[in-house]
Amino acid sequence: MLLNAVIIILREVIEASLIISLFLAFSQIFNNSRVWLLTGLFLGVISAAIYAVNIGVVSQWFDGVGQEVINAGIQIIIYLVLLTFLIIAMRPDSPLNKSLLTAMMMIGVIFATVREGSEIIIYIHGFVTVPELFQSVLLGSAIGAGIGISIGVCIYYILLNMPINISIRAGYVLTVLLAGSMISQTVQQLTQADWVISQYPIWDTSTWISEHSISGQLLYAVIGYEATPTAVQVMAYLSALFIIILFSGYSWNHNQRLNK
Amino acid sequence: MKSIRTYLLLTLIAIITLVTFLSLLQGYKDSITEVQQLFDDRLQSMAAMISNANQDLHPHSAGTEKLSSTVFFQILTDDFSLLARSNNATTPLLSADNNVTAGFRDINFSGYRWRVYILKDDSLNRWIITGERSDISYILAEKVVTASIIPIVLAIPIAAFIIWIAIGVGLKPLRELTGQLNNKQADDLSPVVMANAPEELTSLVASTNALLQRLNDAFVREQQFSADAAHELRTPISILKVQLHNLQNNEHISDAALLPLASGIERMGQVIEQILSLYRYSPEQALIKQSEIDLSAIVQSIIAKDYEQIAIKQQKISLSGGEVCLIKGNQFALETLVQNLISNASKYTPQQGEIQVTSKHITTGVRLIVEDSGPGIPQEQYERVFERFYRVDSDRHNSGILGCGLGLAIVKHIVDLHKAKIILHPSTQLGGLKVMIDFPNK
Repeated sequence: MLLNAVIIILREVIEASLIISLFLAFSQIFNNSRVWLLTGLFLGVISAAIYAVNIGVVSQWFDGVGQEVINAGIQIIIYLVLLTFLIIAMRPDSPLNKSLLTAMMMIGVIFATVREGSEIIIYIHGFVTVPELFQSVLLGSAIGAGIGISIGVCIYYILLNMPINISIRAGYVLTVLLAGSMISQTVQQLTQADWVISQYPIWDTSTWISEHSISGQLLYAVIGYEATPTAVQVMAYLSALFIIILFSGYSWNHNQRLNK
Repeated sequence: MKSIRTYLLLTLIAIITLVTFLSLLQGYKDSITEVQQLFDDRLQSMAAMISNANQDLHPHSAGTEKLSSTVFFQILTDDFSLLARSNNATTPLLSADNNVTAGFRDINFSGYRWRVYILKDDSLNRWIITGERSDISYILAEKVVTASIIPIVLAIPIAAFIIWIAIGVGLKPLRELTGQLNNKQADDLSPVVMANAPEELTSLVASTNALLQRLNDAFVREQQFSADAAHELRTPISILKVQLHNLQNNEHISDAALLPLASGIERMGQVIEQILSLYRYSPEQALIKQSEIDLSAIVQSIIAKDYEQIAIKQQKISLSGGEVCLIKGNQFALETLVQNLISNASKYTPQQGEIQVTSKHITTGVRLIVEDSGPGIPQEQYERVFERFYRVDSDRHNSGILGCGLGLAIVKHIVDLHKAKIILHPSTQLGGLKVMIDFPNK
């Protein structure tokens, strides 16, 4: 049970932790204020609690698949936030950008916290009535959260301590991969909700890296790793990567032309 | 990086947490396997004990042995009919249908999953099964293992606190050095003394001290230069003045011929005084002798001093405000500032013109205004007049005016030293130039 709790909590925490450390590093490199983080976390935690408390009602929506559909919706919003963030960040010279970037980062943190926070609350709450397992679950949650947050801290300081041009490139790649992972998870949620037709997986790598291992969860958070992905999932993932690279690249080129 | 302390704390804790938790998880997996192995051994021993204790080949009359509900046993004949059993295992758990082999396996019955051990007792041709509820043994195993994990997880925040303190202690010499440098008086260029400076700071302290030494040498040289230059330059000019005076008394030489000589000497004298005062106010030196000064008093004394020059040109000078306006500054520098402004105003204001000086309190501090009825300065030259040796286009001014283009440069320099602001305007009241200086509150 402890191991399950570690895996489940780690999966939730690492995603939020990666998004926050990316945004934080960006803020730090470009000397922006960090008020958005505290505000975002505060609003996110409150919203997550409200969402978790009302999960019973939410689940009834859309013929009983409300939770999956809402989660998919939140993932899509996070994808759009990351997309907009990259597009704006590629054009540092145009006006209005600082406040828009801050707004994007705050919205990103709020939705990441709602999505991951509510899952954590629901999971842990499920064990309150099972005293013999509760301690293990709490302990596992603490370990999972500890690993997730620690990885976020390490990535934040690694990004900060790299030469700025490398750190911007690394941040870009990480953001693109995270965005792709969001869409891959969206397809997963929608498949669970039966909104997307369930298919046979096109490959199975679970013997190499199981999704139920720490490394599997890390890869899941960073690149949306699936041991047994369906064709739709792979297509959606690649399209998401293509769109974000296309738009941010266009924005970058546009900015370069303006600078000439 | 905003703070070395936060950086060290966060990275250290993150690395400790990662390494500790990942190894804890590996340890947890291994320990759970070990404990499961222990439970399996127990099942195996129980089966062996039952086999030795019960040699009966007839069905047990009572048929039931009361055991706790989490374990069971059965003894079956070779054709799988019950010989003996515990009270919670009523039906034979083995049958000819399933390929029965001795060893461990997991089965389901009476609503639970059980870990069982099957022993083939060949001497009596019978089967002995012992079993334990998997969920219970699992929880038990987890309890045993997690008991050793809890203290390690709880130790992380304690470690964080201790590391926080330790880093604070480690950074103490750095804070001490910063404190020493911050607390240095502006004129204190003595070396920084740090007893037992750590290795990492020794070279920093040494290079800081070397820098302070070089600065000190530079200041000494500059002071020496000012003093020497003043002496060396003033003396020949005084001699020139005396000689000029003698020449003026000479009847054979006309005054008209001496006039350009006189004004040349006068101008040279002024330039030298101005250059010297410009160098006298290096930021550090001006700050040394800062005190609380009444700006209005300075204005009054300068007007009194320059009154003769103003009276010669029949100019009208008035001082408004005049209330006590205290600012923090250097007396000598401020006198030079007011002197330059008033003598500039007088110089560029025609005969019978008007000069108005105002000193008053404003919300942000004290304001000094010097206005005149002279030709003023074209607005596009406002910025340039503060440059050294810059002179406003002589077409607009009486070319006979003495000056070297340093007056306003010195004013700007002194204004900057006092963190004040200077603004030039056309004077709406008198039609000439309006110079406005805002000094901050003391």
